[in-house]
Amino acid sequence: MATVTNWIDHLSAAEVQGAIYPYVGSEGILVIVALVIWIGWHVLTNNSESEELEKLARKRHSANDHKSNITEW
Amino acid sequence: MTDQLGALTTIFTEFYYWITVVLMFLIHVGFCMYEVGASRYKHHQHTLMKNTMLIPLVTVTWFFFGWWIYWAFPTGPGLAPSIMNESAALITDDSLFSAKWYVPTSDLMAVNLGDHISGVFWAAFLLFSWTAASIVSGAVIERITTFAFGICAIAIGSVFWSIDAAWGWHFDGWMLKILGYHDAYASGVIHAVAGGFALGILIVLGPRIGKFSSSGEPRNIGPRNPWLVAIGLFLIYTGFWGFYAACNIPIFDLGPEYGMEGVTYFTATNIYVTPTTLGGITMNFLMSLSGGLLAGYWIAKGDPFWTYSSGLAGIICASAGNDLYHPIQAMIIAMIGVVIAYKLHYWVERKFKIDDAVGAVAVHGYAGVAGLIICGFVLNGYPSSGYNVGSMWIGTDYAPINPLGMFIGAVIMFVVLGLIPGWIIAKILHGMGKLRIPREVEIAGLDYNLMEAARDDEKAVSSSTR
Repeated sequence: MATVTNWIDHLSAAEVQGAIYPYVGSEGILVIVALVIWIGWHVLTNNSESEELEKLARKRHSANDHKSNITEW
Repeated sequence: MTDQLGALTTIFTEFYYWITVVLMFLIHVGFCMYEVGASRYKHHQHTLMKNTMLIPLVTVTWFFFGWWIYWAFPTGPGLAPSIMNESAALITDDSLFSAKWYVPTSDLMAVNLGDHISGVFWAAFLLFSWTAASIVSGAVIERITTFAFGICAIAIGSVFWSIDAAWGWHFDGWMLKILGYHDAYASGVIHAVAGGFALGILIVLGPRIGKFSSSGEPRNIGPRNPWLVAIGLFLIYTGFWGFYAACNIPIFDLGPEYGMEGVTYFTATNIYVTPTTLGGITMNFLMSLSGGLLAGYWIAKGDPFWTYSSGLAGIICASAGNDLYHPIQAMIIAMIGVVIAYKLHYWVERKFKIDDAVGAVAVHGYAGVAGLIICGFVLNGYPSSGYNVGSMWIGTDYAPINPLGMFIGAVIMFVVLGLIPGWIIAKILHGMGKLRIPREVEIAGLDYNLMEAARDDEKAVSSSTR
C-alpha cells in the first residue's frame, strides 16, 4: 500500500511524515523475513560446501593434478 | 529542512559521507585483488568468493545488530556514565544519539525525510566493518572453510569492531573518559582489533600444508601474481582516502557544541568532535604513506610485496594521531611502525609457527598497536575530547591522552576484543569440525572441481567447432 499518494498533501502537512517506504508499520515482519533468509543462507551453503569438500577429498588428487585442468581459453 | 543554510549543511554532509562510501568501496576491490594475487592458482576462485561474500554477510548483520551495538555500548556498559543521560547503562533511552533509533525495525533505518544523515553514516561505518573482516580474510586463505570464515567475518565485522568503536571511537566512549584513548583514524579500532582477531584464528587454524619444513623452518609461499597484488594495494591506498574523510565530520560549529557562550567556530572535526583540517590530515596521510614505503623498501630489500604492504602499515601506524601530528612526525612514526611490523612478523612466524599468508597481522595488528602506543607519547597531554577535560580513571569527564592509557587501549583492542574472541570462535568452529578444509582438498586445490568443469567445457566447445 502506498504511504504517499499525493506529494503536495504530504509535504504541506503540519507535521511531515518522514518514513515514505511502502507498508510503514510492517518493519517487524520484514526483519523476521530477513533473519530467516540470513540464517537459511548459512544452512544451505554450509551443507553444499560440506558435500563438495567431502566429494573432492575422496578423490585424493595430488598437488599437481590441477595443472591438467588448466584451460587455454 | 526549512532554512537554506541548514539545508545546505545537511545535504552537504549527506553527500560528503556518500562520496566516502563510494571511495571506500575501492578498499574492498583492492582486498579482493590482493588476496587472489597472494593465493595459488588452484585456490583463486574460492579465495575471491570467500572475500566477496563477506560483503552481504556483514551488511545484513550490520543492519540487524552491528549498528545498534555501536550506539548502545559507549558506556561499557557499567564503566563510565554517558554525557547524554549520565547513566552507565546501555544507551537505549529517548536521547538523540540513542541505540533505540537504530534497531532494525526503526523507521529511521530506511528512506526517511526526517533524517538525511543516519543512512550514509550507517553505510560509512559498514564499509569500515567490511575492512575489518577483509583484513582477517587475507590471513587465512587457502585452508579455512567459507562457512567458518563467514561466521568469523560477522563476529569481527558486526560485533567486536562495533564494540571497540563504541568504547574507543564514539564521542561518549568510556575509553576516552577513563583512559584518555585517542585513535582518530583507527590504528586500533579497526586495524589492531582485526589483526588480533586474525592471529587468534591463525593459532587454531594452523599453517598451510608445506609452509614449514619438518625442522620447523618457514618457507615462502607466494605471492603468485605480484601485479594483481600491486593493483590491489594501490586500490586499498585509494580507498583509504575515503576512509580518512569518513572519519571526519566535515562541518561543525564547536561554539555551541562545547557550551561556549556567544562563540561561533565552524570547522571540520575528527570522530571525537575535536577540530582538525582535511588539508592537514591529507598531508599526514601522504607523508605516512611515504614513510611506510621508504622504510618498507629498505627493510625488505626492495621486495615489492612488503614495500606495498609497508606503505599501508605506515599509514596505519600514524593513523591514531594523524589529526594532530606534524607531517614529518607522521612520516617518522610510519617508518618506526613498519620496522616493528616487519620484524615481528618474521619473529612470530619462526617462533610460533604462525602462517599469516598476507602479513595481515603484522601490517594491521602490530603496526596498529605500535601506532597507539607511539600516539600516547607524542600526543601526551592533549585532551581526548572537547567536552570537559578531567583526569585518568575517574570516568565522569575526559582524561587527557597519555602513554599508559594508550598502552592499555592497545591491549584492549588487540588482545581483549581481537585475539581472545578470534581464538574462542575458531576453537568452537574447530570443535564442530567446520574450521578447516580437508587435507586432501587443500592439496588438490579448492578450485579443482571448477577447473575440471572448465576443462570439460573447453573440450566440448572445441570438439563441436571441428
